[in-house]
Amino acid sequence: MVRKESAGADLVIPLLALAFAAYFFWSIVDLVWEAKANGVVIGTVLVALVLVQLARIGLRVVRGEADLRTDPLWEPRDVLGKRIGMVLVTIAFIVLLQVLGLTLALFVAMAAGLWIMGVRKPARLLAISFGVAATAYLLFIVALDAGFPHGLIEKIFS
Amino acid sequence: MSWEFIAAQFAAQFAYWWIICLGILLGIVVGILPGFSPQNTLIMLLPLTLGIPVDQAFAFMVSLYCANHLAGGVPAILVKIPGSGGAAATTLDGYPMTQKGQAQQAIVLSFTASVFGGLITTIATLALLPWLSQIGLYLRSVEMVVVMLFGLTLIAVIAAKDTLKGLISGLFGLLIGVIGTDHIYNAPRATFGFLELYDGVPLVAALIGLFAVSEALVMIEEKLIVGSEGRERAMQASWADTLDGLRLTVQKWWHIVWTSFVGLLIGLVPGAGASIAAFVAYQQSRMWSKHPELYGTGIPEGVIAPEAANNGVTSGTLVPTLALGVPGGSTAAVMMIVLQYHGMVMGPRLFTTNPELAYGVFISMAVAYIFMIFTILPLARYMSRIVLIETTYLVPIIVLVTVVAAFVERQYLFDMGLALVFGVIGYIAHKTNYHVTAMLIGIILGPLFEQYLARALRISQGDLTILFSSTLGNILWGFLVLSLVLPVLKTRFSRSSPPQP
Repeated sequence: MVRKESAGADLVIPLLALAFAAYFFWSIVDLVWEAKANGVVIGTVLVALVLVQLARIGLRVVRGEADLRTDPLWEPRDVLGKRIGMVLVTIAFIVLLQVLGLTLALFVAMAAGLWIMGVRKPARLLAISFGVAATAYLLFIVALDAGFPHGLIEKIFS
Repeated sequence: MSWEFIAAQFAAQFAYWWIICLGILLGIVVGILPGFSPQNTLIMLLPLTLGIPVDQAFAFMVSLYCANHLAGGVPAILVKIPGSGGAAATTLDGYPMTQKGQAQQAIVLSFTASVFGGLITTIATLALLPWLSQIGLYLRSVEMVVVMLFGLTLIAVIAAKDTLKGLISGLFGLLIGVIGTDHIYNAPRATFGFLELYDGVPLVAALIGLFAVSEALVMIEEKLIVGSEGRERAMQASWADTLDGLRLTVQKWWHIVWTSFVGLLIGLVPGAGASIAAFVAYQQSRMWSKHPELYGTGIPEGVIAPEAANNGVTSGTLVPTLALGVPGGSTAAVMMIVLQYHGMVMGPRLFTTNPELAYGVFISMAVAYIFMIFTILPLARYMSRIVLIETTYLVPIIVLVTVVAAFVERQYLFDMGLALVFGVIGYIAHKTNYHVTAMLIGIILGPLFEQYLARALRISQGDLTILFSSTLGNILWGFLVLSLVLPVLKTRFSRSSPPQP
């Protein structure tokens, strides 16, 4: 039996676009025409194209050529954990940045990221994390003073 | 302006070699990092540039600016992560060249196109300064609407492979580009209640998310970013590959010249920038090519066009700044602050009251480009080895360092989160073949297109015929139509013509 093509993943971007276009139209209802003319033109064409895409996929599903599985987004399954892990580490890094400061937060996040990616040798894991955090400290804090939150490390060396 | 004057200026600028080299070094470092634009680097370095003599400050700023534009192409070629918006178009052919094991050739092409493109346009600017300074006055909102359309047609070109998906991506990007307050009434649109979005979607966060984060999330699947053949070629990389890149440069010299002039002309318009120039040059290069179907597969012309154009912009941007007192871009605005701090008055008088400085700026730019070719070219061989680093190490570095860089432009933690959101959108787009480049073109050019269109319509009180009211505008419309129709006609003609015996 021939496996049906999974077309569900193809719907994600059009549906996101459709939802955003709907929100956009709602947000500009009360504005003067100059403020909304460009968005209305772009949004209308976008909605029309999305509807065509939805109809196209819908037809393939009705004909039995495709189904609504979203496999392409999750495959290959063996790296899914790494992928989700990296996203979670990045979220944690952004939250921790305000508490730990750039250097320490980056060191911790790098170590966690490398561990998730499969680096198990402690010396290598710590050396790379230290190298990246130290470079970021020298460039963003010392050389350019780029306005990052300061934490323990930055206060000790200030 | 006599030859003696120019020679004396060249000698004076060569004497600043140490500050030019410092500017080049810093420009390359921050240019490679997505998020560091030359203007925010120069703003951070204002205490330095305000504290040293103005001619030295300008030599430093100009060399940093040019090196920054040059370096943005390096990560675009090696890991498909443009260092700036101006290098986004470089990914289209640069990264496929890397995947074919031609990373070194692509980097050399990027360097030489940037350097020679920048040098040629700088010399042209010096020679034609009085006339060039007038061009910016003729390119008003009506003409700029057409120039923007030149860039936006690239969406259609990219969409050619899957029209519907390409157009949905491009229009989604264009609609995202409309987020923020409008240009006339400052009325907020689709900001999700975030004050941070009132100025529009920050380009750097979008760029980092759509290219860097999403690419890293896809990269996880492979051990190396190149296949086994590409790995073999990268391991055997030698000086011969650098020479091969130089050979391609000589072979495509005319391409460098004309695409760099596209950059120069767009740079002359205040507000237009390297991103537009690179996309328009790429689009034009493809339109006039005998083999447009090869674009996107990793061909030298696809690297040359955006790189020559984004460095052609550098001298163009400074023309309205110095000659008219109107900053050609945000980097030029920072330079103006430095000049004004030192008591210089912008405008045509600068060229009579202080010619050493006014012309010296362009001469220091030329000197910086000359230094660059000797200092950077030998590095291509070693840079190309980045592709041999395993993704196990590359992915966390790319994701975390680029998210850090997203903070730099506006210093909002919000932008780091936004980069991650764009990263996830970009990842879904990658996996389902919706084009992130088309999306980015929309995000970059959308706000500019709206700005110029709104201005034009405001002037005409809503009458659309204003778009066809100027001679130059109509000529540009003609070129636009021609550049869209000609490739179609060429394809039809080649299909219908009988095969040659």
